[in-house]
Amino acid sequence: MQRSQYAIELTAIALAALAAVAVAETKKEYRFEVQAKSKVSIVNQYGSVSVKPSAGNYVLVNATIYSDKVEVDQSQSGNRIDVQTHLLPGSTVENSRVDYEVQVPSDASVSMESSTGPLHAEKLHGDVEAEGANAAVEIKDMSGSHVHVKTMAGPITLTNIRDGHVEIDSVSGDVTMSSVTGPLVRVSSTSGKILYNGDFGYAGEYRFNSHSGNIEATIPDDASVDVKAQSVRGLVQNDVPLQPKVHTSFLVKQGSSFAGTINKAASSVWLRTFSGRIHLKKR
Amino acid sequence: MTCLEFQRELPEYMEEGGGVELQAHLRTCTACSGLVRSLESIVQEARTLQASEEPSPRVWNSIEIVLRQEKLIREPQREGRHSIIPSLRQRWGIAGWLVPAAAALLVGTGMLLYQQRPAAHRLAGASTPAAPIAAVAAGDVSDQQLLQEVSARAPMMRAAYESNLRDVNDYIRDAQDSVNANPNDEEAQQALMDAYGQKSMIYEMALDRSLP
Repeated sequence: MQRSQYAIELTAIALAALAAVAVAETKKEYRFEVQAKSKVSIVNQYGSVSVKPSAGNYVLVNATIYSDKVEVDQSQSGNRIDVQTHLLPGSTVENSRVDYEVQVPSDASVSMESSTGPLHAEKLHGDVEAEGANAAVEIKDMSGSHVHVKTMAGPITLTNIRDGHVEIDSVSGDVTMSSVTGPLVRVSSTSGKILYNGDFGYAGEYRFNSHSGNIEATIPDDASVDVKAQSVRGLVQNDVPLQPKVHTSFLVKQGSSFAGTINKAASSVWLRTFSGRIHLKKR
Repeated sequence: MTCLEFQRELPEYMEEGGGVELQAHLRTCTACSGLVRSLESIVQEARTLQASEEPSPRVWNSIEIVLRQEKLIREPQREGRHSIIPSLRQRWGIAGWLVPAAAALLVGTGMLLYQQRPAAHRLAGASTPAAPIAAVAAGDVSDQQLLQEVSARAPMMRAAYESNLRDVNDYIRDAQDSVNANPNDEEAQQALMDAYGQKSMIYEMALDRSLP
């Protein structure tokens, strides 16, 4: 008798726990039909946003909502989709999380925000904007896209981004780039590191500047660059043989700056920091 | 009266002139009197620019388009619907002025940097421009108020904002020193604009999106 009563109580507790989880976590799905070059905006307060290509001309949003203190507002105006997390009274940082998984046509322009992140986008051809104070941002396998990323402290990782404008601003988040090339690649940081591994493409302009963050670029032997590097108060180190330039826009000073060309100098690379270190390495 | 108290009364002083206490502080404090002189020169310069370089209506239209694209201005909300993105004033109350103040700080610094290029040749032996230093001083007050708002809204994020603001202010100071040492160095000027751009980004993130 006692044993069966114990079993009943355990079962009741388990059912209550399941019910609590079921109430706490709700999944919602929204589907929108769109034309070519649609615009999709996801504004999240806390939680992840992940964007991948869809199989057709539609936008599919899967939202996982973790409490009843937050809801998802969504709307479509022609070819523009807006999805926003709406905080309700009683919401806090802890109970306001929503995770989004989004599929968009590969030519869609995407804008995503979340203060905590992470933010992820891959395999798209349209423009991508990602913003979040502490969000880790990962963007990969993009071509022909303009990529704009802003974080305060969130780290940023870009992989295999080609043939587009890339503009990165982060105050203290480290920026890591692998195989990132395009007509313009600009990275600004205050104290975060800037790490680049790639060949700087052809006929592009690359500009990495920081205040105190170190800048490190690793290039292959066949890279074709016109490179300038300057650290106002830090040290610079160059492991790559350079053809010296006849004229430079600044006074080249051993240990503080260097300038020169490699192969046909197809791309222009400008590395500048106030007190960080700069290191140009051979792969 | 302390300098902090004086700076709190500064808007009233600039508009209406100050009381006895404010005047007395100005007579004895070189930092605050320098700040007032710099702000008065900014106001004077702004008047001459307005008269001579009023942009065409097309420029304002273009600015409006960009601001709408950046979601910095929006259509008015329909009645009876919760405002998803409240206005700065509704959301931040009296601190809602921090965003336009930060924007004015950036625009003012940019204008002064632009003006300094041709002026540097005429003003031989001129001392360090006071207005950008005044802009940094005014910015310190804004930083403290921003951090107070962050503390009130999301206390766990205050440390991160404080640390990043400190780093960016160091950046601004170093960049300003470079510009002062080499007023015609375009790279130094660009670095200063980049530094202020980073600060503007922190303000935008704190006030517009990241906090409940």
